[in-house]
Parts: sequence; structure tokens; C-alpha cells
Amino acid sequence: MKTDHFEGKSVLEHLKEARAKGGLAAAEIHGTEMPGHLSAAADAARDTAVVLLFLWILFPVQPALFFLFAAGLFLWKIGRSALLGWARLERLHRVIEEERWEIEHQREQEREELAALYQAKGLSGKLLDEVVTVMMADDNRLLHIMLEEEMGLALEIYEHPLKQSFGAGVGVLIATALFAAGYFFFSPLVATALTLTMAALIVAKLERNRRIEALIWNLSLVAFAAAAVYFLKLTIL
Amino acid sequence: MTTPYSFDEFFATNKEETVSPFLTPGSRKWGKYLSLRSALFAGFLLACSFVLSFYSTPASLVLLTAVYFLAGTPALINSLHDLSNFEINIDVLMTLAAFLSVIIGSELEGALLLVLFELSAALEGMVAQKTRSSVLNLHKLSPRVACIIGEDGIVYQKALAEIPIGARILVKAGEIIPLDGQVIEGRSYVNLVHLTGESQPLGKTIGDEVPAGAGNLDGTLTISVTRTSGDSTVSRIIKLITQAQDAKPKIEQFLDRFGKYYASTIILLSFAFAIALPVFWGLPYLGPEGGIYRALAFLIAASPCALILATPTAYLSAISSCARRGILPKGGIMLDAVATCMTVALDKTGTLTTGKLTCTSIEQLSGPPLDPNLAIAIAASLERHAVHPIAEALTTYAQSRQIQILPVENFRSIAGYGLEGTVASHPAIIGQREFIQEKAQVSLPSADLMATYLYVQGSLFVFHFTDTLRTDAKKVIAHLKKNNLRVVMLTGDHASSAQAVAQELGIDEVFADLRPEDKLAKVTELAKEAPLMMVGDGINDAPALARATVGISMGKIGSATAVDASDIIFIHDDISLLEWLYKKAHQTRRILRENISLALGVILFATTPALLGLVPLWVAVILHEGGTVLVGLNSLRLLKK
Repeated sequence: MKTDHFEGKSVLEHLKEARAKGGLAAAEIHGTEMPGHLSAAADAARDTAVVLLFLWILFPVQPALFFLFAAGLFLWKIGRSALLGWARLERLHRVIEEERWEIEHQREQEREELAALYQAKGLSGKLLDEVVTVMMADDNRLLHIMLEEEMGLALEIYEHPLKQSFGAGVGVLIATALFAAGYFFFSPLVATALTLTMAALIVAKLERNRRIEALIWNLSLVAFAAAAVYFLKLTIL
Repeated sequence: MTTPYSFDEFFATNKEETVSPFLTPGSRKWGKYLSLRSALFAGFLLACSFVLSFYSTPASLVLLTAVYFLAGTPALINSLHDLSNFEINIDVLMTLAAFLSVIIGSELEGALLLVLFELSAALEGMVAQKTRSSVLNLHKLSPRVACIIGEDGIVYQKALAEIPIGARILVKAGEIIPLDGQVIEGRSYVNLVHLTGESQPLGKTIGDEVPAGAGNLDGTLTISVTRTSGDSTVSRIIKLITQAQDAKPKIEQFLDRFGKYYASTIILLSFAFAIALPVFWGLPYLGPEGGIYRALAFLIAASPCALILATPTAYLSAISSCARRGILPKGGIMLDAVATCMTVALDKTGTLTTGKLTCTSIEQLSGPPLDPNLAIAIAASLERHAVHPIAEALTTYAQSRQIQILPVENFRSIAGYGLEGTVASHPAIIGQREFIQEKAQVSLPSADLMATYLYVQGSLFVFHFTDTLRTDAKKVIAHLKKNNLRVVMLTGDHASSAQAVAQELGIDEVFADLRPEDKLAKVTELAKEAPLMMVGDGINDAPALARATVGISMGKIGSATAVDASDIIFIHDDISLLEWLYKKAHQTRRILRENISLALGVILFATTPALLGLVPLWVAVILHEGGTVLVGLNSLRLLKK
């Protein structure tokens, strides 16, 4: 356990991080992107490496095919990552607009919501009334509170969609370059393993998960999938 | 300590991602000028594609698809929006022409149209963003919360909308009074300059009414609320502003109106040519000599690149030039509107005058003779410790006469009333009439609003003040009149004070003692006779500024409400810029007309030969782009100061 609770940060910064962490921990695993350009890069690199590996297993003597495929994947990953980011931003902006409208037009209901939130935290009676009144005083502050406390959203944690897509592009480039090096100089299998190792370690570090477990699970999964493709090829073709 | 995120700017910019509360502050810059950067990048790719087309067609097409993706997708989305609203405009025409050009093998020309179109949209966006962000920087927030004194004496914040009549609120020195009320405790000078145009602060004490929006200068006041926020003085003025904005004549951009007719006509003509040329001239429908090809060539050649760039480039250049001078128009179209104005209505306090007081003279009223310089030294020494326009005027007066400030002992400030202390062994009191009468037990002549009194050991002095005229105000008025503009003064101040200023500046028509609703009525009446620009700074000017054909506010001294309600802001409060702005507005209008004539001329010159099949499509497009470059260069002339 850490002894420095705030890790040298202000209480506000600490609270912001704690809420962001809460949001991430509660996020659904499948299809939920962790915010940030580094995770986008790791995700894109991992996908590119695995897809190129499958192609190599299926068409081992057509190197040009891999790189044309990688070029298409590069554009697709960049574009898709940016589009996902913008779609998320649009959703979040819509939520904030709706909440602001409620604060302006449904003050009584907002007051009730706020009272319920703080009642659940142990406040009651006059103290609860005073706390709610002060929180309701400033609309800017109230919107902040409602977004974070009511909706569980964290502010200022997402990267700009373009920065995120830049990360995805870099991920594809790194995976392709490693695969090319593996193809021409050592082994595509080793290249894929290297890419997956880097991606798994970066993601585990960002998520503060156990690195060895994350790494081994990722490598095992790709080995299993690649083996399945190889043996299915032998079976069907 | 991190400052909590403020949502005001986010909503004011219509949820722009560059200020999104969800993005990390460091990554917001990725969204800055995104359309412009995308258009420029598409232009770069187009140039590369053009060069590559001489060596490898497939390689050139790879880049061209990127151009269509970057510039074509936004154009397609906008056009579909327009079409879903049953609107056919230049955007639709340009998009249609660009995408149809692929059918007749003129992809490069189509891509060029898209890039120029995207560039034009980005420039328009930049104009809007530039003015908006600067306005936000000027924006000073009016109070939205008040400090309520609870039953048990605890002071806490409450939203204005939730404060009932009779609630007790605390207003400290330097704060804006948030709600109309009656003083129940304390004394203070309050500044009503933004509300009424009166430059002299008024002393307020128990029993006096104080309006929302007034500035509390030096004391702490406890106020009993007499009107809720919905009925407060400021709210009533804001309602007037909303009504005035609705009544304001709509200034529609000429090009928008023209564009709708132009686009519909060209699209219809293209269809007509595609059908009529084979029928009447015996041309085939298909093939490079066919009717459809020629109709498409006509459609592309008639797509007005130069025309769509004519307005944003001119406005952007003019606005950049204005910004360098400290003028901020909220959109280029306001410059157009300035050029149409025939009447100029000017507020007095804060607009023609600086709103700051200047001490003009000192006069001994009674008592044993005392050296006036010593009296000034005593007065300035006492006032040096106060925060009040009169205090500032007196210390400046002493400095200008090189009179030394003396040490003060036993100093005491009675907020909203006056000061007392011992200066160089002379016990003295200074302040408003009632204060001196009460303290010194002397009777004083009838009150002069712009005066303060000093009592030193039996000697009684009066200091007279005047509102300071802005430098160049007289010259500006003379220039406006020389340009056959009707100049009138509208003020909430007293008639005598207004007449004196008007006489000095050479203004013949003066309307004084006007409340905000009177100013609005007068501006409405004058604007019905001829387009009018109104220059003002106070909250009381805001409805009139909103109603005028063009409202101009003073950015520094001006209240947030006036700045919001106006169309153009003088950032440094420099009234002399009115003369320059008027000239620049006329120049902008002239250049716009030149641009539009040039663009239409080029279209006519390029489309007819294209339709007749006399010139190939690429020649028509080159003629087009030549016109576009000329329009751009012509607009750049507006950058000159």
C-alpha cells in the first residue's frame, strides 16, 4: 500500500484521477477503448501484427500482399480511431448539453437528485440543505458536480481524436516495420511476438495490471489463434 | 491548485472541441483550425497528384482519392444537409460539379473545386472563430450568485434565481450589487455609470435603494432584496435587449441571396443543355462531344470558385486589419452595414468622455484664508488612502501641480461618506456635503453633484470636477459631419452636463435624461429614418446597441452586457477609430463589389466557350482559377492599415 496518499498532487487533482480510475475500472471490457494515444497505438499494433501473421500463414510467398494490406489497414485504423474518438466526444457533448438544460429548466428535480446523492453519503437535515443550497448556487459548479457525481464522467481525461488516431497510425507502422524485418531477416513469428509483447506491456502498464500475466495471456492467445488458422488451412485447403 | 473548468466558453463557442471539457488541455490544440489545416493538406495532396499524373496515373489517383476524402466528405455532408432542408445554394452546386466531374474524366478539376470550396469554408470559420474568441476574452461575468445572510448569521452563496424578496444579502467593496434592494446596514459609494451614465458615484446608506448592476466601491452593504432576479433592473434591461435584437433589421449577406438563385439557375440550365443540345443541334448524348459532356462542362465551368472566395477573403483581410487597430467586428458583414449608415448616435459618459473625473478648480468658500496649495496637499494626502474616482482625480490633480503628498495621522474612512485625519498637524475632513455639514457644523450652498468639500481648521474649500473628454472626440465628430452623417448624442446624464459636452464637441442634437427604454425608443425612431450606428458602453446603452443597425461598444470601460449586445467592439476604447472604421467599411464594400464583378465576368467568359465546345474543360478551369487568384489578391489590399 502507498503511504503518500496524494502522491505529491493537489487534492483536486487526486480526486480527478480517482474518478477517472473509477470510470475505467467500471468500463465494459469488450469494445471499450481506453482513452489515449498510447493505448490506441498498442491496440493498432497488436491488431496489425495478428492480421499480418494470419496472412503470412495463409499466403506465405506473397510479401507484396502483406504490405498492401498493411497500407489499407494503416488508413483504416487512423480513420476509424479518429471517428471513434469524435463519436465519443459527440456523445459526451450531448450529455453535457442535456445536463445543462436540466440545470436551467428543472432546478427542483436537480436539487432532489443532489440531495439524494449526498444523503447517500451520510448527510441529513439542515446540513444537507445547506450543502445542497451552496452547490446549487453556481451553475458552473453544479454542472461539474452532476457530471462527475451523478453521471460518473471524468473531465479532461480524453485525448483529442486526432492525437488518438495519430497513435493508432504509429502503432500500425511499428507493427508493419517489425513484421517486414521479421519476414526478410529473422522470423515473422518472432516479429509478431515482439509486437505483441510491447503492446501487452504498454497496456498493462497503463491499466496498472499485472504485466507478466497480461503478456503471457496475449502471447498464448495469438499462438492459439495462429495455430488454429494453420491447422484449419491444412484441413480445408 | 487546479482551477475548476469553466463551461461558459464551451457553450459560448457552441461546444467547440478546442475547449471541450472532456479533452485533456494539452490535446485540445489538435482541433485548432482543423478545417483550414485539412483544406491546406488536401491542396498539398492535390498538387502532388497533379505532378504524379505525368508519370503514373494510378499513383496520382491514390492521392486524388485522399483529396476527395478530405475535402469532399465535409462538402457532401453540408450539401446533403442543405438538400434535406430543400435549399439549393452555391454549396450544393459546387459539390455536384466536383463529384460529377469524375464522370467526364476531370477528377483533378473536381478536386480543385473541392479544395477551394473547403478553403473558403475554413476561412469563413476562421473569421467567426477569431472574433468570437476575442469577444470571450473581453467578457466580464455579471454576478450569478449572491452571499445570503442566513437566520443564524451564517453567510453562504445562493443562485440569484433562488433568492426571494426580503432575503438579506451581503455586498463587499469592489463587488457588483447582484439584486435590486434597500440598504439595511452599512454605507458605501456606489457607481451607477454603467446603469445611468452618471459619472459621479453616489453615497448610499440605510434606507436607500440600490439597483442590481451598480458597483459597490468602498464599504460593505447589507441589502434587503426588493425584486427577484427575474424583475431586477439588469433583467429588465436584458429583456429590452432581447426585444431590440428581434426588432433589428436582418442583414442578409448579398452573396447568400444571390447564391440561391445562381445555383438553381445553373443546375436547371445544365439539365436543359443536356437534353436540348442533342435535340436541337443533333449532338450525341454521350461521348466527349455529346450533350451530357457539354452540360457537365458548363456546370463545372460555372461553379463560382472566385465568387465563393470573394467574400471570406475580403472580410478576413478587413477584419485582420481592424484587429491590428483594436477593432473587433463580430463578423465581416458588420463592416458592410457600417458603410450603409447615415446617422451616428453617441452615448456621452464613457464614450465621448473617459468616464474618469478630472479636478478642474479649487475654491475657498469660508473661514480664515489658507494657501490653496496646502489645501490641495491636505486633500490629496487624505484621498490617497481611498478607492474612489474623486480620490484618483484629486491625487492626479496634486501631481499635475507638483504638490507633495504629506503624511497622515489618525486616518479614518467613513465608507460612502468621507475621510478624516490629521495632515501636517492640520486636522481635516473631506467628503460629500452632508458629511461636512454634520461634522463641521457649517451650512453649505446647494449641492453640486460634481464636487467634494474639504474642511481644515475652520477653512472650507470646494473642489470642482468634470468628466474628461476623450482625445480626438472633437475631430471625429467633425469628420463624421463632413461625411454628411447626422450626429446625435443620447445620454442618461443630466441635460446641463450633456449640453456642455455637446457644445464643446460640436454636436447639435442632444437627447438627455434618457432611461434605457428611452434610448431604445429614440434609436428605433432614428433607425426608421435611416440606417444608424450607435456607440455606447453602459448597460443602459445595451438595448439601443442591440437595436441599432450597427452597435459599437467600448471594450475596456464597457460593461459585459454592452459588449455582448454590440456588433463591433473598440478594444482600447479609442473613439478616434470611428473615422478609420468608416473609411475601412467603405473600402471593404468597394473591394467586395470589385471581387463579385470580377468573379462573374470570369464565369461568363469561361462558361460560354465551354458550352459551345470552343475550349476544352481544362482551359475553362484555368480561366476560373486565374479569376480566383485575382479575387484573392484584390482582397489582400484590405490588409493595409
